[in-house]
Amino acid sequence: MNFYPVFLKEMIIFKRRLFRIGYLFSNMITPLLYLIAFGLGLGRGISIDGVAYLAFVVPGICAMSSMTNSYSWIATSISVGRLHFKTFDEYIVSPVTPSDIMLGEVLAGVVRGMFASSFILIAGVLFGAGFPENPIFLVAWVLNCLVFACLGVISGCLAKSHEDTATFSNFFIMPMAFFCGTFFPLDKMPVFIRVPLSFLPLTHASKTLRAAFLGEGVPAVSLGIIFAFFIILFALGVVVIRRVNR
Amino acid sequence: MIKLVELTKDFGHLRAVDKLSFHIQKGEIFGLLGPNGAGKTTTVRMLNTLTRPTGGEAQVAGFDVVKSAFKVKQLIGVSPQEVNLERDLTARQNLHIHGLSHRMEGIKKRVDELLNWTNLSERADDIIRNYSGGMQRRLLIARSIMHRPQVLFLDEPTVGLDPQVRRLIWDLIRDLNHKGVTILLTTHYIEEAELLCHRAGILSHGKLIALGSPQELMTSIGRFVVESLDNGVTNYRLFETREEACNFAQTRGENVRIRESNLEDVFIKLTGERIGQ
Ligand SMILES: Nc1ncnc2c1ncn2[C@@H]1O[C@H](COP(=O)(O)OP(=O)(O)O)[C@@H](O)[C@H]1O
Ligand SMILES: [Mg+2]
Repeated sequence: MNFYPVFLKEMIIFKRRLFRIGYLFSNMITPLLYLIAFGLGLGRGISIDGVAYLAFVVPGICAMSSMTNSYSWIATSISVGRLHFKTFDEYIVSPVTPSDIMLGEVLAGVVRGMFASSFILIAGVLFGAGFPENPIFLVAWVLNCLVFACLGVISGCLAKSHEDTATFSNFFIMPMAFFCGTFFPLDKMPVFIRVPLSFLPLTHASKTLRAAFLGEGVPAVSLGIIFAFFIILFALGVVVIRRVNR
Repeated sequence: MIKLVELTKDFGHLRAVDKLSFHIQKGEIFGLLGPNGAGKTTTVRMLNTLTRPTGGEAQVAGFDVVKSAFKVKQLIGVSPQEVNLERDLTARQNLHIHGLSHRMEGIKKRVDELLNWTNLSERADDIIRNYSGGMQRRLLIARSIMHRPQVLFLDEPTVGLDPQVRRLIWDLIRDLNHKGVTILLTTHYIEEAELLCHRAGILSHGKLIALGSPQELMTSIGRFVVESLDNGVTNYRLFETREEACNFAQTRGENVRIRESNLEDVFIKLTGERIGQ
Protein backbone atom coordinates (compact mmCIF):
# COMPACT_ATOMS: atom_id res chain seq x y z
CA MET A 1 0.00 0.00 0.00
CA ASN A 2 1.58 3.23 -1.14
CA PHE A 3 -1.34 5.54 -1.82
CA TYR A 4 -0.01 8.37 0.31
CA PRO A 5 2.07 10.18 -2.35
CA VAL A 6 -0.94 10.25 -4.69
CA PHE A 7 -3.20 11.55 -1.92
CA LEU A 8 -0.63 14.06 -0.71
CA LYS A 9 -0.19 15.54 -4.17
CA GLU A 10 -3.93 16.13 -4.54
CA MET A 11 -4.12 17.59 -1.05
CA ILE A 12 -1.32 20.07 -1.68
CA ILE A 13 -3.14 21.27 -4.80
CA PHE A 14 -6.42 21.41 -2.87
CA LYS A 15 -4.87 23.41 -0.04
CA ARG A 16 -3.41 25.89 -2.50
CA ARG A 17 -6.86 26.40 -4.08
CA LEU A 18 -8.39 27.01 -0.67
CA PHE A 19 -6.29 30.09 -0.24
CA ARG A 20 -7.78 31.58 -3.35
CA ILE A 21 -10.72 33.65 -2.18
CA GLY A 22 -12.77 33.02 -5.30
CA TYR A 23 -12.63 29.27 -4.86
CA LEU A 24 -13.65 29.32 -1.23
CA PHE A 25 -16.39 31.81 -1.94
CA SER A 26 -17.89 29.78 -4.77
CA ASN A 27 -17.86 26.73 -2.52
CA MET A 28 -19.92 28.59 0.03
CA ILE A 29 -22.21 30.49 -2.30
CA THR A 30 -23.58 27.60 -4.42
CA PRO A 31 -25.20 25.66 -1.56
CA LEU A 32 -26.50 28.88 -0.12
CA LEU A 33 -28.19 29.69 -3.42
CA TYR A 34 -29.86 26.29 -3.47
CA LEU A 35 -30.98 26.58 0.10
CA ILE A 36 -32.36 30.04 -0.38
CA ALA A 37 -34.10 29.23 -3.65
CA PHE A 38 -35.58 25.87 -2.69
CA GLY A 39 -35.61 25.83 1.08
CA LEU A 40 -36.61 29.37 1.91
CA GLY A 41 -38.12 30.60 -1.34
CA LEU A 42 -40.03 27.83 -3.06
CA GLY A 43 -40.46 25.65 -0.01
CA ARG A 44 -41.60 28.25 2.53
CA GLY A 45 -44.66 26.95 4.30
CA ILE A 46 -44.56 23.59 2.52
CA SER A 47 -44.09 20.46 4.51
CA ILE A 48 -43.60 16.91 3.27
CA ASP A 49 -44.93 14.08 5.40
CA GLY A 50 -45.01 16.44 8.33
CA VAL A 51 -41.43 17.62 7.84
CA ALA A 52 -40.62 21.25 7.02
CA TYR A 53 -39.38 21.45 3.44
CA LEU A 54 -36.13 23.11 4.56
CA ALA A 55 -35.24 20.13 6.77
CA PHE A 56 -36.31 17.83 3.93
CA VAL A 57 -34.11 19.49 1.35
CA VAL A 58 -30.90 20.03 3.36
CA PRO A 59 -29.83 16.35 3.30
CA GLY A 60 -30.89 16.19 -0.38
CA ILE A 61 -28.67 19.11 -1.33
CA CYS A 62 -25.92 17.64 0.81
CA ALA A 63 -26.14 14.38 -1.19
CA MET A 64 -26.11 16.31 -4.46
CA SER A 65 -23.24 18.59 -3.54
CA SER A 66 -21.04 15.81 -2.15
CA MET A 67 -21.69 13.87 -5.36
CA THR A 68 -20.77 16.61 -7.83
CA ASN A 69 -17.75 17.78 -5.87
CA SER A 70 -16.25 14.32 -5.32
CA TYR A 71 -16.81 13.51 -8.95
CA SER A 72 -15.80 16.57 -10.91
CA TRP A 73 -12.57 17.43 -9.12
CA ILE A 74 -11.12 13.97 -9.66
CA ALA A 75 -12.47 13.49 -13.17
CA THR A 76 -10.96 16.75 -14.34
CA SER A 77 -7.69 16.29 -12.50
CA ILE A 78 -7.16 12.85 -14.03
CA SER A 79 -8.29 13.58 -17.57
CA VAL A 80 -6.20 16.74 -17.79
CA GLY A 81 -3.24 14.98 -16.15
CA ARG A 82 -3.52 12.16 -18.65
CA LEU A 83 -4.32 14.00 -21.85
CA HIS A 84 -2.71 17.37 -21.44
CA PHE A 85 0.06 17.63 -18.86
CA LYS A 86 1.02 13.92 -19.03
CA THR A 87 1.46 13.89 -15.26
CA PHE A 88 -0.40 10.58 -15.11
CA ASP A 89 2.62 8.98 -16.82
CA GLU A 90 4.67 9.82 -13.75
CA TYR A 91 2.34 7.60 -11.70
CA ILE A 92 2.68 4.79 -14.19
CA VAL A 93 6.47 4.81 -14.29
CA SER A 94 6.61 4.96 -10.49
CA PRO A 95 6.33 1.81 -8.42
CA VAL A 96 2.83 2.60 -7.20
CA THR A 97 0.18 0.05 -8.08
CA PRO A 98 -3.15 0.81 -9.77
CA SER A 99 -4.91 0.25 -6.44
CA ASP A 100 -2.57 2.77 -4.79
CA ILE A 101 -3.46 5.34 -7.41
CA MET A 102 -7.15 4.52 -7.07
CA LEU A 103 -7.16 4.78 -3.30
CA GLY A 104 -5.13 7.99 -3.21
CA GLU A 105 -7.32 9.72 -5.78
CA VAL A 106 -10.58 8.51 -4.27
CA LEU A 107 -9.65 9.63 -0.76
CA ALA A 108 -8.73 13.03 -2.17
CA GLY A 109 -12.15 13.14 -3.83
CA VAL A 110 -13.82 12.34 -0.51
CA VAL A 111 -12.04 15.19 1.24
CA ARG A 112 -13.08 17.55 -1.52
CA GLY A 113 -16.70 16.36 -1.57
CA MET A 114 -17.11 16.51 2.19
CA PHE A 115 -15.50 19.91 2.38
CA ALA A 116 -17.88 21.43 -0.16
CA SER A 117 -21.02 19.80 1.19
CA SER A 118 -20.27 20.61 4.80
CA PHE A 119 -21.20 24.22 4.00
CA ILE A 120 -24.74 23.03 3.41
CA LEU A 121 -24.97 21.45 6.83
CA ILE A 122 -23.65 24.65 8.34
CA ALA A 123 -26.14 26.73 6.38
CA GLY A 124 -28.87 24.28 7.43
CA VAL A 125 -28.10 24.94 11.09
CA LEU A 126 -28.05 28.69 10.51
CA PHE A 127 -31.42 28.65 8.75
CA GLY A 128 -32.98 26.49 11.43
CA ALA A 129 -33.19 23.17 9.57
CA GLY A 130 -31.33 21.44 12.39
CA PHE A 131 -28.40 19.05 12.40
CA PRO A 132 -28.14 15.32 11.48
CA GLU A 133 -29.74 13.33 14.29
CA ASN A 134 -28.24 9.91 13.58
CA PRO A 135 -24.44 9.34 13.25
CA ILE A 136 -25.20 6.95 10.36
CA PHE A 137 -25.45 10.21 8.41
CA LEU A 138 -21.65 10.41 8.45
CA VAL A 139 -21.32 6.86 7.11
CA ALA A 140 -23.71 7.49 4.23
CA TRP A 141 -22.10 10.83 3.51
CA VAL A 142 -18.60 9.33 3.23
CA LEU A 143 -19.90 6.40 1.17
CA ASN A 144 -21.64 8.74 -1.24
CA CYS A 145 -18.39 10.66 -1.73
CA LEU A 146 -16.49 7.38 -2.22
CA VAL A 147 -18.93 6.16 -4.89
CA PHE A 148 -18.71 9.33 -6.94
CA ALA A 149 -14.98 9.77 -6.48
CA CYS A 150 -14.63 6.25 -7.96
CA LEU A 151 -16.81 7.31 -10.88
CA GLY A 152 -14.62 10.39 -11.24
CA VAL A 153 -11.49 8.25 -11.58
CA ILE A 154 -13.18 5.97 -14.08
CA SER A 155 -14.46 8.76 -16.31
CA GLY A 156 -11.12 10.61 -16.01
CA CYS A 157 -9.30 7.49 -17.21
CA LEU A 158 -11.71 6.70 -20.04
CA ALA A 159 -12.06 10.24 -21.40
CA LYS A 160 -10.65 10.61 -24.89
CA SER A 161 -10.76 14.40 -24.69
CA HIS A 162 -11.32 17.06 -22.08
CA GLU A 163 -14.92 17.48 -23.21
CA ASP A 164 -15.73 13.83 -22.50
CA THR A 165 -15.81 14.34 -18.74
CA ALA A 166 -18.17 17.29 -19.18
CA THR A 167 -20.42 15.20 -21.45
CA PHE A 168 -20.50 12.40 -18.94
CA SER A 169 -21.31 14.89 -16.23
CA ASN A 170 -24.16 16.45 -18.21
CA PHE A 171 -25.73 13.12 -19.11
CA PHE A 172 -25.33 11.22 -15.86
CA ILE A 173 -24.32 13.38 -12.96
CA MET A 174 -26.57 16.39 -13.48
CA PRO A 175 -29.82 14.44 -14.03
CA MET A 176 -29.06 12.46 -10.89
CA ALA A 177 -28.58 15.71 -9.02
CA PHE A 178 -32.20 16.66 -9.65
CA PHE A 179 -34.13 13.41 -9.87
CA CYS A 180 -32.71 11.11 -7.24
CA GLY A 181 -34.88 12.32 -4.41
CA THR A 182 -32.79 15.35 -3.71
CA PHE A 183 -35.50 18.02 -4.08
CA PHE A 184 -38.73 16.01 -3.97
CA PRO A 185 -39.77 12.61 -2.62
CA LEU A 186 -39.86 9.75 -5.12
CA ASP A 187 -42.58 7.58 -3.57
CA LYS A 188 -45.34 9.55 -5.29
CA MET A 189 -43.68 9.29 -8.70
CA PRO A 190 -45.09 6.82 -11.26
CA VAL A 191 -43.53 3.37 -11.24
CA PHE A 192 -41.88 3.72 -14.67
CA ILE A 193 -39.83 6.59 -13.26
CA ARG A 194 -39.34 5.25 -9.77
CA VAL A 195 -37.95 1.87 -10.84
CA PRO A 196 -35.13 3.15 -13.09
CA LEU A 197 -34.21 5.72 -10.47
CA SER A 198 -33.83 3.00 -7.87
CA PHE A 199 -30.83 1.70 -9.85
CA LEU A 200 -28.94 4.93 -9.29
CA PRO A 201 -26.65 5.30 -6.29
CA LEU A 202 -27.69 8.87 -5.48
CA THR A 203 -31.31 7.78 -4.94
CA HIS A 204 -30.15 5.57 -2.10
CA ALA A 205 -27.70 8.11 -0.76
CA SER A 206 -30.31 10.86 -0.48
CA LYS A 207 -32.79 8.42 1.04
CA THR A 208 -30.32 7.30 3.69
CA LEU A 209 -28.96 10.77 4.36
CA ARG A 210 -32.48 12.14 4.78
CA ALA A 211 -33.58 9.38 7.14
CA ALA A 212 -30.45 9.86 9.25
CA PHE A 213 -30.80 13.62 9.19
CA LEU A 214 -34.40 13.51 10.38
CA GLY A 215 -33.73 10.75 12.90
CA GLU A 216 -36.05 8.26 11.18
CA GLY A 217 -35.30 4.57 10.78
CA VAL A 218 -32.24 4.17 8.56
CA PRO A 219 -32.95 2.18 5.33
CA ALA A 220 -30.40 -0.61 5.68
CA VAL A 221 -31.02 -1.89 2.14
CA SER A 222 -30.19 1.50 0.64
CA LEU A 223 -27.06 1.78 2.74
CA GLY A 224 -26.04 -1.70 1.57
CA ILE A 225 -26.66 -0.75 -2.05
CA ILE A 226 -24.42 2.33 -1.81
CA PHE A 227 -21.74 0.19 -0.23
CA ALA A 228 -22.04 -2.35 -3.04
CA PHE A 229 -21.74 0.43 -5.61
CA PHE A 230 -18.57 1.58 -3.90
CA ILE A 231 -16.95 -1.86 -3.93
CA ILE A 232 -17.84 -2.52 -7.56
CA LEU A 233 -16.80 0.91 -8.82
CA PHE A 234 -13.56 0.79 -6.86
CA ALA A 235 -12.63 -2.53 -8.44
CA LEU A 236 -13.63 -1.23 -11.85
CA GLY A 237 -11.47 1.85 -11.31
CA VAL A 238 -8.42 -0.30 -10.58
CA VAL A 239 -9.00 -2.22 -13.82
CA VAL A 240 -9.43 0.97 -15.80
CA ILE A 241 -6.22 2.49 -14.39
CA ARG A 242 -4.33 -0.67 -15.31
CA ARG A 243 -5.41 -0.23 -18.92
CA VAL A 244 -4.45 3.44 -19.26
CA ASN A 245 -1.90 3.98 -22.07
CA ARG A 246 -2.20 0.48 -23.46
CA MET B 1 21.71 -3.52 -19.21
CA ILE B 2 19.01 -2.90 -21.79
CA LYS B 3 18.14 -5.51 -24.36
CA LEU B 4 15.67 -5.23 -27.22
CA VAL B 5 14.70 -8.20 -29.36
CA GLU B 6 12.57 -7.39 -32.39
CA LEU B 7 10.65 -4.86 -30.34
CA THR B 8 7.65 -3.64 -32.33
CA LYS B 9 4.80 -1.19 -31.83
CA ASP B 10 1.84 -0.65 -34.12
CA PHE B 11 -0.67 2.17 -33.75
CA GLY B 12 -3.48 0.86 -35.88
CA HIS B 13 -2.01 0.55 -39.36
CA LEU B 14 1.03 2.63 -38.54
CA ARG B 15 4.16 0.73 -37.52
CA ALA B 16 5.89 3.22 -35.22
CA VAL B 17 8.69 0.86 -34.15
CA ASP B 18 9.72 -1.95 -36.46
CA LYS B 19 11.51 -5.01 -35.04
CA LEU B 20 14.12 -3.08 -33.15
CA SER B 21 17.00 -5.17 -31.76
CA PHE B 22 20.06 -3.91 -29.91
CA HIS B 23 21.83 -4.06 -26.55
CA ILE B 24 23.01 -1.29 -24.29
CA GLN B 25 25.96 -2.00 -22.03
CA LYS B 26 26.20 -1.10 -18.38
CA GLY B 27 27.73 2.34 -17.90
CA GLU B 28 27.10 3.45 -21.46
CA ILE B 29 25.49 6.61 -22.78
CA PHE B 30 23.54 5.30 -25.73
CA GLY B 31 21.85 7.69 -28.13
CA LEU B 32 18.82 7.04 -30.29
CA LEU B 33 19.09 9.53 -33.12
CA GLY B 34 16.45 10.24 -35.69
CA PRO B 35 14.13 12.87 -37.10
CA ASN B 36 10.72 13.65 -35.58
CA GLY B 37 8.37 10.73 -35.98
CA ALA B 38 11.18 8.15 -36.31
CA GLY B 39 9.87 6.21 -33.30
CA LYS B 40 12.29 7.28 -30.58
CA THR B 41 9.68 8.22 -27.99
CA THR B 42 7.61 5.12 -28.67
CA THR B 43 10.70 2.93 -28.16
CA VAL B 44 11.54 4.64 -24.88
CA ARG B 45 7.94 4.45 -23.67
CA MET B 46 7.89 0.70 -24.23
CA LEU B 47 11.09 0.35 -22.21
CA ASN B 48 9.55 2.56 -19.49
CA THR B 49 6.46 0.30 -19.13
CA LEU B 50 4.27 3.17 -20.37
CA THR B 51 3.30 1.54 -23.66
CA ARG B 52 2.75 -2.14 -24.25
CA PRO B 53 4.74 -3.55 -27.17
CA THR B 54 2.80 -5.11 -30.05
CA GLY B 55 5.56 -7.66 -30.58
CA GLY B 56 9.05 -8.66 -29.57
CA GLU B 57 10.62 -8.39 -26.16
CA ALA B 58 12.66 -6.02 -24.08
CA GLN B 59 14.56 -6.34 -20.85
CA VAL B 60 15.91 -3.72 -18.51
CA ALA B 61 18.53 -4.90 -16.01
CA GLY B 62 17.44 -8.45 -16.74
CA PHE B 63 13.72 -7.85 -16.15
CA ASP B 64 11.11 -8.13 -18.87
CA VAL B 65 9.34 -4.79 -19.36
CA VAL B 66 5.93 -6.46 -19.64
CA LYS B 67 6.11 -9.46 -17.33
CA SER B 68 8.18 -7.79 -14.60
CA ALA B 69 6.95 -4.25 -15.16
CA PHE B 70 6.80 -3.40 -11.47
CA LYS B 71 10.40 -4.46 -10.91
CA VAL B 72 11.47 -2.39 -13.92
CA LYS B 73 9.64 0.66 -12.53
CA GLN B 74 11.70 0.41 -9.34
CA LEU B 75 14.99 0.37 -11.23
CA ILE B 76 14.58 3.03 -13.87
CA GLY B 77 14.54 6.80 -13.96
CA VAL B 78 12.43 8.50 -16.60
CA SER B 79 12.65 12.00 -17.94
CA PRO B 80 10.00 12.27 -20.65
CA GLN B 81 10.05 14.42 -23.76
CA GLU B 82 7.26 16.64 -22.46
CA VAL B 83 7.94 18.16 -19.06
CA ASN B 84 5.35 16.53 -16.81
CA LEU B 85 6.09 18.05 -13.44
CA GLU B 86 3.17 19.01 -11.23
CA ARG B 87 2.77 22.65 -12.17
CA ASP B 88 0.99 23.67 -8.99
CA LEU B 89 3.63 22.18 -6.72
CA THR B 90 7.01 23.59 -5.78
CA ALA B 91 10.28 21.99 -6.85
CA ARG B 92 10.72 20.62 -3.36
CA GLN B 93 7.22 19.12 -3.29
CA ASN B 94 7.67 17.52 -6.71
CA LEU B 95 10.85 15.80 -5.58
CA HIS B 96 9.41 14.88 -2.19
CA ILE B 97 6.38 13.13 -3.69
CA HIS B 98 8.57 11.25 -6.13
CA GLY B 99 10.67 10.07 -3.19
CA LEU B 100 7.55 8.88 -1.37
CA SER B 101 6.40 6.96 -4.44
CA HIS B 102 9.68 5.08 -4.35
CA ARG B 103 9.45 4.55 -0.58
CA MET B 104 12.78 6.29 -0.12
CA GLU B 105 14.45 7.07 3.15
CA GLY B 106 16.32 10.30 3.81
CA ILE B 107 14.17 12.17 1.32
CA LYS B 108 14.81 15.61 2.75
CA LYS B 109 18.57 15.31 2.45
CA ARG B 110 18.38 13.94 -1.07
CA VAL B 111 16.05 16.75 -2.15
CA ASP B 112 18.50 19.39 -0.91
CA GLU B 113 21.35 17.58 -2.62
CA LEU B 114 19.53 17.53 -5.96
CA LEU B 115 18.33 21.13 -5.75
CA ASN B 116 21.94 22.05 -5.18
CA TRP B 117 23.15 19.88 -8.04
CA THR B 118 20.73 21.48 -10.47
CA ASN B 119 21.29 24.97 -9.06
CA LEU B 120 17.65 25.38 -8.13
CA SER B 121 18.02 25.83 -4.37
CA GLU B 122 17.02 29.48 -4.42
CA ARG B 123 13.79 28.77 -6.25
CA ALA B 124 13.07 25.51 -4.42
CA ASP B 125 9.85 26.75 -2.84
CA ASP B 126 8.39 28.42 -5.92
CA ILE B 127 5.61 26.94 -8.01
CA ILE B 128 6.92 25.17 -11.14
CA ARG B 129 4.42 27.05 -13.28
CA ASN B 130 6.66 30.12 -13.00
CA TYR B 131 9.91 28.35 -13.93
CA SER B 132 11.74 28.92 -17.22
CA GLY B 133 11.99 26.02 -19.68
CA GLY B 134 15.59 25.32 -18.70
CA MET B 135 14.78 25.24 -15.00
CA GLN B 136 11.87 22.88 -15.55
CA ARG B 137 14.05 20.57 -17.61
CA ARG B 138 16.72 20.51 -14.91
CA LEU B 139 14.15 19.71 -12.27
CA LEU B 140 12.71 16.99 -14.49
CA ILE B 141 16.13 15.34 -14.65
CA ALA B 142 16.58 15.79 -10.90
CA ARG B 143 13.24 14.09 -10.30
CA SER B 144 14.13 11.21 -12.61
CA ILE B 145 17.26 10.38 -10.60
CA MET B 146 15.83 11.17 -7.15
CA HIS B 147 15.65 7.47 -6.23
CA ARG B 148 19.16 6.75 -7.58
CA PRO B 149 18.14 4.55 -10.56
CA GLN B 150 20.72 2.36 -12.29
CA VAL B 151 19.23 3.07 -15.69
CA LEU B 152 18.10 6.48 -16.88
CA PHE B 153 15.94 7.34 -19.88
CA LEU B 154 16.19 10.87 -21.23
CA ASP B 155 13.79 11.60 -24.08
CA GLU B 156 15.03 14.69 -25.94
CA PRO B 157 16.48 16.24 -22.79
CA THR B 158 17.44 19.54 -24.43
CA VAL B 159 14.65 20.06 -26.91
CA GLY B 160 13.74 23.72 -27.32
CA LEU B 161 16.47 25.04 -25.01
CA ASP B 162 18.99 27.70 -25.90
CA PRO B 163 22.67 26.70 -26.36
CA GLN B 164 23.89 27.77 -22.92
CA VAL B 165 21.19 25.88 -21.08
CA ARG B 166 21.79 22.92 -23.35
CA ARG B 167 25.44 22.84 -22.25
CA LEU B 168 24.37 22.93 -18.61
CA ILE B 169 22.20 19.86 -19.16
CA TRP B 170 24.97 18.04 -21.01
CA ASP B 171 27.22 18.58 -18.00
CA LEU B 172 24.56 17.07 -15.73
CA ILE B 173 24.22 14.06 -18.03
CA ARG B 174 27.98 13.46 -18.15
CA ASP B 175 28.20 13.81 -14.39
CA LEU B 176 25.51 11.17 -13.90
CA ASN B 177 27.26 8.82 -16.28
CA HIS B 178 30.53 9.24 -14.38
CA LYS B 179 28.66 8.17 -11.27
CA GLY B 180 27.86 4.91 -13.05
CA VAL B 181 24.34 5.45 -14.40
CA THR B 182 23.55 3.75 -17.71
CA ILE B 183 21.79 6.27 -19.93
CA LEU B 184 19.56 5.92 -22.97
CA LEU B 185 18.95 9.31 -24.52
CA THR B 186 17.05 10.24 -27.61
CA THR B 187 17.72 13.31 -29.68
CA HIS B 188 17.34 14.81 -33.09
CA TYR B 189 20.30 17.10 -32.48
CA ILE B 190 23.34 15.73 -34.29
CA GLU B 191 25.75 17.60 -32.07
CA GLU B 192 24.20 16.21 -28.90
CA ALA B 193 24.62 12.63 -30.05
CA GLU B 194 28.21 13.21 -31.21
CA LEU B 195 29.27 14.92 -28.01
CA LEU B 196 27.57 12.74 -25.40
CA CYS B 197 27.08 9.24 -26.69
CA HIS B 198 29.48 6.34 -26.51
CA ARG B 199 27.33 4.64 -29.09
CA ALA B 200 24.37 5.73 -31.17
CA GLY B 201 21.65 4.00 -33.10
CA ILE B 202 20.10 5.80 -36.03
CA LEU B 203 16.38 5.39 -36.39
CA SER B 204 14.34 6.03 -39.50
CA HIS B 205 10.64 5.15 -39.83
CA GLY B 206 10.85 2.86 -36.83
CA LYS B 207 13.82 0.89 -38.17
CA LEU B 208 17.38 0.85 -36.90
CA ILE B 209 19.49 1.72 -39.92
CA ALA B 210 22.92 2.12 -38.29
CA LEU B 211 24.56 1.35 -34.98
CA GLY B 212 28.00 2.15 -33.60
CA SER B 213 30.14 4.81 -31.98
CA PRO B 214 29.77 8.23 -33.62
CA GLN B 215 33.38 7.84 -34.80
CA GLU B 216 32.69 4.46 -36.39
CA LEU B 217 29.53 5.68 -38.06
CA MET B 218 31.25 8.70 -39.54
CA THR B 219 34.26 6.71 -40.68
CA SER B 220 32.02 4.13 -42.33
CA ILE B 221 30.65 6.71 -44.77
CA GLY B 222 33.94 8.59 -45.30
CA ARG B 223 35.54 11.05 -42.97
CA PHE B 224 35.48 14.08 -45.30
CA VAL B 225 32.75 15.88 -47.17
CA VAL B 226 33.04 18.14 -50.16
CA GLU B 227 30.05 20.45 -50.51
CA SER B 228 29.73 22.25 -53.79
CA LEU B 229 27.14 24.67 -55.00
CA ASP B 230 26.11 23.97 -58.59
CA ASN B 231 23.36 26.11 -60.08
CA GLY B 232 21.89 26.81 -56.65
CA VAL B 233 21.84 23.15 -55.58
CA THR B 234 24.20 21.92 -52.88
CA ASN B 235 25.88 18.63 -53.73
CA TYR B 236 27.70 16.46 -51.23
CA ARG B 237 30.41 13.91 -51.80
CA LEU B 238 32.10 11.79 -49.20
CA PHE B 239 35.78 10.77 -49.14
CA GLU B 240 37.94 8.55 -46.98
CA THR B 241 40.93 10.88 -46.79
CA ARG B 242 41.61 14.59 -46.90
CA GLU B 243 43.81 14.21 -50.02
CA GLU B 244 41.06 12.61 -52.02
CA ALA B 245 38.67 15.31 -50.90
CA CYS B 246 41.13 18.06 -51.85
CA ASN B 247 41.80 16.55 -55.25
CA PHE B 248 38.11 16.37 -55.97
CA ALA B 249 37.52 19.89 -54.71
CA GLN B 250 40.12 21.26 -57.13
CA THR B 251 38.23 19.82 -60.08
CA ARG B 252 35.08 21.67 -59.00
CA GLY B 253 36.53 25.15 -59.04
CA GLU B 254 34.75 27.77 -56.96
CA ASN B 255 32.00 27.48 -54.37
CA VAL B 256 33.34 24.37 -52.68
CA ARG B 257 33.81 23.65 -49.02
CA ILE B 258 35.67 20.75 -47.41
CA ARG B 259 34.62 19.69 -43.92
CA GLU B 260 34.64 16.62 -41.69
CA SER B 261 31.58 14.43 -41.94
CA ASN B 262 29.04 14.29 -39.12
CA LEU B 263 26.16 12.06 -38.06
CA GLU B 264 23.77 14.05 -40.20
CA ASP B 265 25.77 12.98 -43.25
CA VAL B 266 25.42 9.40 -42.08
CA PHE B 267 21.67 9.85 -41.90
CA ILE B 268 21.48 11.53 -45.29
CA LYS B 269 23.59 8.85 -46.88
CA LEU B 270 21.64 5.96 -45.40
CA THR B 271 18.15 7.27 -45.96
CA GLY B 272 18.94 8.61 -49.40
CA GLU B 273 17.36 11.93 -48.64
CA ARG B 274 18.96 15.18 -49.76
CA ILE B 275 22.05 13.51 -51.25
CA GLY B 276 23.35 14.66 -54.63
CA GLN B 277 24.54 12.60 -57.64
N1 LIG C 1 -0.34 7.22 -29.20
C1 LIG C 1 -0.14 7.22 -30.52
N2 LIG C 1 -1.15 6.93 -31.36
C2 LIG C 1 -0.96 6.91 -32.69
N3 LIG C 1 0.21 7.16 -33.29
C3 LIG C 1 1.26 7.46 -32.53
C4 LIG C 1 1.15 7.51 -31.11
N4 LIG C 1 2.36 7.85 -30.59
C5 LIG C 1 3.19 8.00 -31.65
N5 LIG C 1 2.54 7.77 -32.82
C6 LIG C 1 3.14 7.81 -34.17
O1 LIG C 1 4.26 6.96 -34.17
C7 LIG C 1 5.32 7.52 -34.91
C8 LIG C 1 6.55 7.63 -34.05
O2 LIG C 1 6.34 8.63 -33.08
P1 LIG C 1 7.39 8.94 -31.94
O3 LIG C 1 7.79 7.68 -31.29
O4 LIG C 1 6.80 9.99 -31.08
O5 LIG C 1 8.62 9.54 -32.75
P2 LIG C 1 9.82 10.43 -32.28
O6 LIG C 1 9.88 10.41 -30.78
O7 LIG C 1 11.02 9.82 -32.90
O8 LIG C 1 9.58 11.81 -32.79
C9 LIG C 1 4.84 8.85 -35.44
O9 LIG C 1 4.38 8.66 -36.77
C10 LIG C 1 3.69 9.18 -34.51
O10 LIG C 1 2.72 9.97 -35.19
MG1 LIG D 1 9.84 11.97 -29.47
